[in-house]
Amino acid sequence: MDVVDRIEAVRNGRLGRRGFTRSLLAAGVGIVAMPLAPRRGRAQTSARGTYFTWGGYDIPELFGPYQQKNGALPNFAVFGGTEEGLTRIKAGFVVDVAHPCNASLVRWRDTGLFQPIDTARLSNWPGLIPGLAELEGNAAEGGKVWMAPFDWGQTSVTYRADLFEVEGEESWDMLWDSRYAGRLGSLASGGDAWWVGAIKAGVDFREIATDDAFDRIAAVMREQRPLIRVYTDDTTSLEQALAAGELVAAMTWNASATLLRAQGVPVRFAQPKEGALTWVCGVMIHRDAPNIDRACDIIDSLLGVEAGRFIIGDYGYGHANARSFEAFDDAALAALGLSRNPAAILEAGHFQVPQDREFETRMAELFEMIKAGF
Amino acid sequence: MAPALVVLAIGIVVPAAILVTMSFWSRKGLGFDMTPTLANYRRILDEPIFGAFLARSFTFSGIVTVLTVLLCYPMAYYVAFHVNSRKMLWIVLITLPFWMSYLLRVFAWKVILGYEGVINASLLELGLIAEPLQVLLYSQTAVIVTLAHAWAAFAILPMNVSLEKIDRSLLEAATVLGDGPATRFLRVTLPMSMPGVLAAVFLIFIPTMGDYVTPALLGGPDGAMIGNLIQLRFGPVNNWPMGAALSVVLALWIAAIAAVFLVLNRTAQSRLA
Repeated sequence: MDVVDRIEAVRNGRLGRRGFTRSLLAAGVGIVAMPLAPRRGRAQTSARGTYFTWGGYDIPELFGPYQQKNGALPNFAVFGGTEEGLTRIKAGFVVDVAHPCNASLVRWRDTGLFQPIDTARLSNWPGLIPGLAELEGNAAEGGKVWMAPFDWGQTSVTYRADLFEVEGEESWDMLWDSRYAGRLGSLASGGDAWWVGAIKAGVDFREIATDDAFDRIAAVMREQRPLIRVYTDDTTSLEQALAAGELVAAMTWNASATLLRAQGVPVRFAQPKEGALTWVCGVMIHRDAPNIDRACDIIDSLLGVEAGRFIIGDYGYGHANARSFEAFDDAALAALGLSRNPAAILEAGHFQVPQDREFETRMAELFEMIKAGF
Repeated sequence: MAPALVVLAIGIVVPAAILVTMSFWSRKGLGFDMTPTLANYRRILDEPIFGAFLARSFTFSGIVTVLTVLLCYPMAYYVAFHVNSRKMLWIVLITLPFWMSYLLRVFAWKVILGYEGVINASLLELGLIAEPLQVLLYSQTAVIVTLAHAWAAFAILPMNVSLEKIDRSLLEAATVLGDGPATRFLRVTLPMSMPGVLAAVFLIFIPTMGDYVTPALLGGPDGAMIGNLIQLRFGPVNNWPMGAALSVVLALWIAAIAAVFLVLNRTAQSRLA
């Protein structure tokens, strides 16, 4: 090992000035051989659009029309939570299209890193469920929108019907049940977990940013922490653990329950008596999107009926396109916990209310401390 | 000299300077307030979480370092003294697992330690346990085991080099002068291989102290390390100046430990000599 030899030589004073310079030069060449300046994280090939999204959306099933038109899939990049995604974009990661949710819409918009979407360029826009795009802070000038709604659904408890004995009604208390200490799982991102804590603590979402709300939510999160086996944003880990019986209940989105049921695992997606956490997610276009045409193709593909059927049938989420629901009868939708009318689901639960930057940082910092055991 | 210095400056000095400067800033909205302040450092002193995580990371890395060196020394020794042909092949075989990405090795450990993993399945099959062991994954044990394996190559190689370089005639001399195998090892082989052991200790201790992938994937709630706290500040918590301050403190802390270790080693060596 040359390096060790040289360090040794320096220690013993055997390496002269020339030898030392040679060593430095060798190290220097090594470093120069690597790309020098950090390149901006652009798409590898500029002809392909880049879609920055949650894990599970980076699949060909959602991009049939896009593939037909452009001959290949978009590039994918994945984040675990919207704040993580935003931090990476803020740090200079240029994508074409990103996939935040209603609670972060205003914060994302206010960074100035996004551009309004010209809905006239989207062939599927007229088919959208009326009113779904009318989210707080979404309207831009000239009838444009900042975020095109794409999928909507719930955060709730997925539990093993055969292993978890429900006492009375389904409830968020299931994730605070000390009988199953060490066999409960949770999403790691405060974007879900903290809001669930608010429901559990009985905090009105309109008051979630008050000091009192912080104290009450922190108290229930601290109470829950010793019971949790794993906090993760990797839904596959939660699903595998539920399938194995390692976990008996976990906080998940619709898709985990739908995917597990399709594999024959006896799970239920709870309808907690306090109400589930509900959300609408959508897609935004980066201000400096290198491929604006591809960006529109990505969005149009996501809003199409083909993607919609997959989102509903295989993932159990609601889709933005009204026609996507035509392939399913009411009974099938009810079994998935869905409805043709998003309002019926979204308003039955607790719909997230956008918060400012300060809230997000304070919440994330506090929640991470609680997860770490402090 | 000049080109190398430029590279050094761009690659190391500039980023370090940025990090140190940023650690005196504070967060404001999505950007920074650049008025110099010691607030971040004060917080690290005041809030128990940071000290506790530094201490925990120190413990983890310490255990990992000792474990790895103890487990790898015999391997390095065997190849140096008992393999006479095709040494290169042996070295390649020993380091073969390390041709694979670190991340994939971490995932492989997840499969081995998992609830339905290799260890649990075997123990269940043998009837030694009735329920899968939960403590294997998402625990401090998982982090220590994985780190100890992940960095093994960095221990074997320098120790092997040190052992190879030992002049065999010294060992003969020790035998002729009446040392048995054990005394000979303790008086000649071990002291002469100390530079390799020391290199191994540094090569393992320093990077594992700041590791964050392994604890993030295998540690569970109690297995997190200081690297995870830093990563969170550059990610979801979005407080880069605080993350920078923590990085600086971590670097100073590692430097201090390394200095203490060097002094101890020097004293020991001069005593031996």
